[in-house]
Amino acid sequence: MTDVINERIESDYKAGFVTDVETDTIPPGLNEDVIRTISAKKGEPEWLLEWRLKAFAVWKEMQEPEWAHLKYPKVEFDKVSYYSAPKSMEDKPKSLDEVDPELLKTYEKLGIPLHEQAILAGVAVDAVFDSVSVATTFRDKLEEAGVIFCPISEAVHKYPDLIKKYLGSVVPQKDNFYAALNCAVFSDGSFVYIPKGVRCPMELSTYFRINEAKTGQFERTLIVADEGSYVSYLEGCTAPMRDENQLHAAVVELVAMKDAEIKYSTVQNWYPGDAEGKGGIYNFVTKRGICHQNAKISWTQVETGSAITWKYPSVVLKGDNSIGEFYSVALTNNYQQADTGTKMIHLGKNTRSTIISKGISAGKSQNAYRGLVRMNPGAENARNYTQCDSLLIGDQCGAHTFPYIESKHPAAVVEHEATTSKVSDDQLFLCQQRGIEPEKAVSMIVNGFCKEVFKELPMEFAVEAGKLLEVSLEGSVG
Amino acid sequence: MSETMNFIDQATTFVSSHESQSKTQWLADFRLQQQTRFSQNQWPTRKTENWKYTSLNALQQANFNQPSQASSTIDESAYAIENLNAQTLVFVDGVFDATRSQLDIDSNASVCLFSEANEKQQALIQNYLGKASGNSSNIFTHLNGSLTHDGLLIHVAKGQTASPIHVVHYASSQTQAATAQSRHLFVVEDNAQAAVIEHFASVESNGNSLFNQLTEIELGNNAHLHHYRLHLEDEQMIHLGAMHANLQRDAQLNSFHLALGGKIKRIDIEVNYQGSGAHSDVNGVYLTKNRQHVDYHTNMEHAVPHCTTSEVFRGIMDDNSKAVFNGRIHIHPQAQKTLAELSNKNLLLSNKAEINTKPELEIYADDVRCAHGATVSQMDNNALFYLLSRGISREEAERMLSFGFINELIDGVKHEAIGAYLRPVIAELFGNQQHLAECDL
Repeated sequence: MTDVINERIESDYKAGFVTDVETDTIPPGLNEDVIRTISAKKGEPEWLLEWRLKAFAVWKEMQEPEWAHLKYPKVEFDKVSYYSAPKSMEDKPKSLDEVDPELLKTYEKLGIPLHEQAILAGVAVDAVFDSVSVATTFRDKLEEAGVIFCPISEAVHKYPDLIKKYLGSVVPQKDNFYAALNCAVFSDGSFVYIPKGVRCPMELSTYFRINEAKTGQFERTLIVADEGSYVSYLEGCTAPMRDENQLHAAVVELVAMKDAEIKYSTVQNWYPGDAEGKGGIYNFVTKRGICHQNAKISWTQVETGSAITWKYPSVVLKGDNSIGEFYSVALTNNYQQADTGTKMIHLGKNTRSTIISKGISAGKSQNAYRGLVRMNPGAENARNYTQCDSLLIGDQCGAHTFPYIESKHPAAVVEHEATTSKVSDDQLFLCQQRGIEPEKAVSMIVNGFCKEVFKELPMEFAVEAGKLLEVSLEGSVG
Repeated sequence: MSETMNFIDQATTFVSSHESQSKTQWLADFRLQQQTRFSQNQWPTRKTENWKYTSLNALQQANFNQPSQASSTIDESAYAIENLNAQTLVFVDGVFDATRSQLDIDSNASVCLFSEANEKQQALIQNYLGKASGNSSNIFTHLNGSLTHDGLLIHVAKGQTASPIHVVHYASSQTQAATAQSRHLFVVEDNAQAAVIEHFASVESNGNSLFNQLTEIELGNNAHLHHYRLHLEDEQMIHLGAMHANLQRDAQLNSFHLALGGKIKRIDIEVNYQGSGAHSDVNGVYLTKNRQHVDYHTNMEHAVPHCTTSEVFRGIMDDNSKAVFNGRIHIHPQAQKTLAELSNKNLLLSNKAEINTKPELEIYADDVRCAHGATVSQMDNNALFYLLSRGISREEAERMLSFGFINELIDGVKHEAIGAYLRPVIAELFGNQQHLAECDL
């Protein structure tokens, strides 16, 4: 039985190829000149450079956070290159046809042929390769609806007012160590603006990929949903297999105005390192959304990759009657470590939040849920329900839960439940008795365990997530 | 801040200048070792994870003076428990008061002060002192250790069943704020049984005094201890205390905690499972009002297989008060087949009251069943409506529900006399309802 499990666990990372594209990379190291260079390469206006430099000044004063339940060698920030762009980007492609075919092949290998996916799935994709956005599909159709979906570097020029108003409004420069670093050196990312009352006609999607060795990726996503609008946004990530650790420090900001709704789904499959724990991506991400009156933000994430995950998608429930949701599946295998969870900050009246977190640990991995639910004095009749369940596969992994609950209002109700268990022998026995093979049975049980989260994912992603889970779990049944 | 520094300076100076001479060399060595750990430890601030919600600012007014001569007026009714049939040991401001203590009941337990221990007892103390609290990172534990000159030993020999022992710590009204340390060591050997009630009482408003009480418990194979720790001191008191227990094979610990609020009341509870098959029931109640503050930190260290934990804490916070609960369950890699459950429920009665709760699970073994739950809410509206519809006033209905919320735990205590003693004390908090006090559900 154990052998079968181990076999299943030891599957390979399927997205671990390197694409041979000529790139324009800044030498490693970080100082003001690097920031000026990045800014100059992007032809940014003066105010943005100032903004970056201010963040850099703050970052220099900050300490790397050490409170997370993670153990890893310190990142040497001097050895990271802070900008890398495919060379062919110099003369920007106007449409998909002009994109470097090598690049397009990369996406095909990843299973996201831009053309096909764009046409068949009706998904508009903004693909970020290393640090630069290479192609945005379906832009015309979106423009018709008034939706802005473009690389953030482009938005800086085209829509400076919007960027000026919202950039850093949810995650300010001095928010935390990695967010400050991102503010200083962010290279590209996506910008989405949904005008008043518009329901975005299709799901928007971004694919991130770190290709170049020894580079960090610092993308920044900003989504603004104006009054009464709706958008569903998907994000996926991969990276090649390399022996050294690579840094990924992203910032995602969501602004949901009155009556707006944002649904943000992530399938994170960065390279997790090999079976000995060598290499892999350090994923230090700050994601936060702010909900105005009656607005709703829903985070759904499936985290299967990265050597280190440090990620807490949060919602600030500022407006009355606003809703925050967090659905998460975090799977760790081999030597992966994850410290992930959410923060729900209830400020307004009748605000509601739901947290469903499923952690699965296998191999020698450590998986921690860390969450905060805060009911501020104004959070009358606010309501929170939290459920975090952990599943242990194998006796050398760890599953941890650190929920922080702070309540300052008597009429706010907070409920938290957590359980930890292993795949039950009874369930396995029952399946096998009915002729289901052990590995299939475990996969079924794990899928059932995660069902509450998967059903929140958009259809295309749900299929992918299920498959990812199966692959990541290969060999771990016991 | 400078005044807090003042306290730290005072403590540090006091510890480093502290006479390490003693007639018993091993005790002096112990103090020295604790002093080293004390000086290595950082003074906790709001950034220290374990003190995130508990500010030590109140220590600004505290003073490191030793208590002056205890006043002779001591209100014995403040701590007497009827029908307990127990030996009573009374300590006033940390100093043993033989005249008020009753040691005449034949109890099968040997009770002595460290300073009066015979050779055999000395050997016991030397063997166990500082053992159960050995992994503590709390600076006040080391402060306590650095200043340990005396303490209380309760020893129950193999196979004996001891009658209850009531240990009272009474804080007398001091003219000046003072700091007192105290240390208990309970050793219950294989197959023995005991019950110990640690009871903290005081007169009103003896302002800003600090008490640091550390209890260490050693339970042998199949030993059984009923332990109570009742914090009923005046709200001006600062208490920074801890209880650490080591459990050997099949040992059983029933520990009940109750705290009324104070300026700061911080109690660390740690259970170390060292032999398989051990079980502990740790239950507690905290009730705060005015501007009081209570902080319970519990830690269950499951280091061996087949142990079980059941932990229930409930709190009611009123007015501007604040409570903190941190319940950690740590399952080590070897601790397969562990069953551990933790529940923490809280009621907030006022708009200004605050609760910070964090039930933690840290699990490194796969064949275990662990669960924790925490809730924060108001009173159940349906229950309230039910009572109102039967002509009970809102005020009274709220009182009944609050009382019922914690009476469940009080009903669970083994010693009837303690339940009977606590009910009126708690009923008084909710407005002195005579019939509540008498209700024995």
